[in-house]
Amino acid sequence: MVHSTLALGVEAVGCAAFDAGIQGAFGYPGTPSTEGFEFVEAMIRAEPGGRVAHWAANEKVAYDLALGVSYAGHRTLVTMKHVGLNVAMDAYANSALTGVRGGLVLLVADDPGMHSSQNEQDSRRLAEFAWLPCLEPSTVQECYDFTGRAFELSESLQVPVMVRLVTRLAHCRAALVRRETLAPAGLGVVPKDMVQNWVLIPSNARRRYVDLLAKQPRMLQDLAPMNRLVSGTGRKGVAVSGMGRAYFDQLALEHPGLAALTRLEVAAYPLDPQLERAFLAQVDEVFVFEEDYPVLEERLGLRGAAAVHGRLDGTVPRAGELTPRLLKNALGLIAAEGKDAITLDLPVRPPRFCDGCGHVDAYEALQAALANLGVPDARVFGDIGCYTLAAQEPMAAIHAVVEMGASISMAVGAALAGQTPSVAVIGDSTFGHSGLPALLTAADSGVNVTILILDNRVVGMTGQQPSQALDQVERLVLGMGIPEAQLQVLTPLPKQHEANVKAMEAALQHPGPSVVVFRRECIQSLRRGVLKDHDREEKARMELACCTSAASCATEARP
Amino acid sequence: MSEARIHGIVLSGVGGQGVLSLAQIVLEALRRSGLHALQSEIHGMSQRGGSVHAQVCFSEAPLSSPIIDQGCADLLISLEPLEALRYVAMLRMDGHLVVSEEPQVNMEGYPPLDDVYAALKSVRGAHLVDTEDLARRLNHRQAGGMALLGMASKFLPVSEDVWRDVITQRFEAKGERVTQKNLEAFEAGRGLVPVTA
Repeated sequence: MVHSTLALGVEAVGCAAFDAGIQGAFGYPGTPSTEGFEFVEAMIRAEPGGRVAHWAANEKVAYDLALGVSYAGHRTLVTMKHVGLNVAMDAYANSALTGVRGGLVLLVADDPGMHSSQNEQDSRRLAEFAWLPCLEPSTVQECYDFTGRAFELSESLQVPVMVRLVTRLAHCRAALVRRETLAPAGLGVVPKDMVQNWVLIPSNARRRYVDLLAKQPRMLQDLAPMNRLVSGTGRKGVAVSGMGRAYFDQLALEHPGLAALTRLEVAAYPLDPQLERAFLAQVDEVFVFEEDYPVLEERLGLRGAAAVHGRLDGTVPRAGELTPRLLKNALGLIAAEGKDAITLDLPVRPPRFCDGCGHVDAYEALQAALANLGVPDARVFGDIGCYTLAAQEPMAAIHAVVEMGASISMAVGAALAGQTPSVAVIGDSTFGHSGLPALLTAADSGVNVTILILDNRVVGMTGQQPSQALDQVERLVLGMGIPEAQLQVLTPLPKQHEANVKAMEAALQHPGPSVVVFRRECIQSLRRGVLKDHDREEKARMELACCTSAASCATEARP
Repeated sequence: MSEARIHGIVLSGVGGQGVLSLAQIVLEALRRSGLHALQSEIHGMSQRGGSVHAQVCFSEAPLSSPIIDQGCADLLISLEPLEALRYVAMLRMDGHLVVSEEPQVNMEGYPPLDDVYAALKSVRGAHLVDTEDLARRLNHRQAGGMALLGMASKFLPVSEDVWRDVITQRFEAKGERVTQKNLEAFEAGRGLVPVTA
């Protein structure tokens, strides 16, 4: 047996980044990308000093941190989920023009089937949009190997390289064989004669855009070895990538007849048009198996050289995750006959708030206050996190959830359009992620909005990672321009219900912007003692401050 | 389970019951037995008391798919009776099901328990265990998972020594007593399935 460790696909990317000698890893938590960062973070923590792993306030910040490391001449990894890349898109697209110094690899985990996301957008499209390479592994070992390759490509092509995973691979656990481990080595900061490349004023940007376009043929050439044409015996073919390739390879083991199909195996984008033409010259009919959007399918179909079957013609459903069954159906393989499904009507078991969760108490106070004020049909703007669960019946306490930070701005927009009361509910981490600029606008607008910040002191949903706004929510709120009189801090506990309802009513009735912070630590993190050390150190710090300066006890009392 | 086809195990339960931990133990045990094995898990929202399921695929040949098709699973291990019913159609005709009788009622419309048990018993190859009673008898509140693993072990190509090693390693950090308790629960479960498949 090979000596190996077990790792998830995303963890394999983190491990490979460590082994490639990164100086820094950054990210914002988001399923199914989170463990990639956590894995490399644990590796970095386990070695004596020097390298850094740091969660950022949001994905754009994470990306810019990575770009800074690259500028300084070091290798770096940045991780996020697919919708996180929307947040980082400005940085990502423009870093294509600046190029990189130290190798920069972006791990993006897409979520076809939307297991825990609000859409199933395809990051390959965003790589294409930015004119940047995207590598797409099919196995855990490839997650590792491709990431190592991505660092080499990033430095040889001097561009950021995306490694795109999907949920099934990101959360596939398998044996992983590590290769050579490189120590971090700095190339040195961007030299003087290249500084203008990094200054994207129009005169430089025009030149850099031409440079980026000029890199495209070399990109095709360097990526070419990762894509493969395997000739079959007939005029039928398949084009496969990612999990489509994994499922097809598995089926081919069990159905030797599939070897007759000519295969186009794609693991790196952009794909060389010559390879597409060579493939299409050998087939009259093609089945395309890829996750999310019909990227390959459209490219092959547009050439008009063969009948192309996939998501566009309904051979594979337009939406949702690929499965081995979908491949079997498309290829006309007989599905196995197993046991009959149970006929008993099985109710769904949706996720729910943990017993004793403070969010429940906060929502109960809000709903009671709205009822007391005679608002029969409230519309409350929600946000992304555990508290999104309140959108479900029977609670049905929030009525819109779109993307990180949307609650505040949507509530301000609705208030500007005349809605009263206009209420936003946002968690502390989401507030730090993208609620801050929205609150600045809310305060500036002066409109009647009530913003609830549900502060559970961690990023609850993704596994209680540290929240960047920890212990700072009030200062941030005041700093954004909310008057002190319109900021209330409440404790969401059943025994505080009456007092909380009264405070909520006051906030709802105030004619301008007001903020109510409901603070109680996430009970999962409390159970795990996630903040134990932090709180102990903070307490010691406070006591020390008191001892060294008697006055500070009175004046520096923190919330 | 000798030919080099893909074998599949489905594990199901409710968030917080330890479905993913159990899947990891199974994965490690198969791997130590010289087999190629992959595990697929779906989590995120599911941590919060929702349905959770994982799959483990294994084969004597290298494999690339972490999930199996409907009708292809050899074994279903469920920590909760209703959750087991969702995945019965994943099983092969000759597949087995080991399931806890202990319901987790945390949602609306849970069907009458008698209907749930009747549906489970109608499945050929079903092995039910009253984990609540077992836990009481073993004086070990969380014996259920390990007992189910013990039952499942009768259908998997892993030696008893390997199982014991993997379980020991898993609980080592929690001390000798916890390890012994879990090994005891595993053995108790093993004793509940009379013959090897």
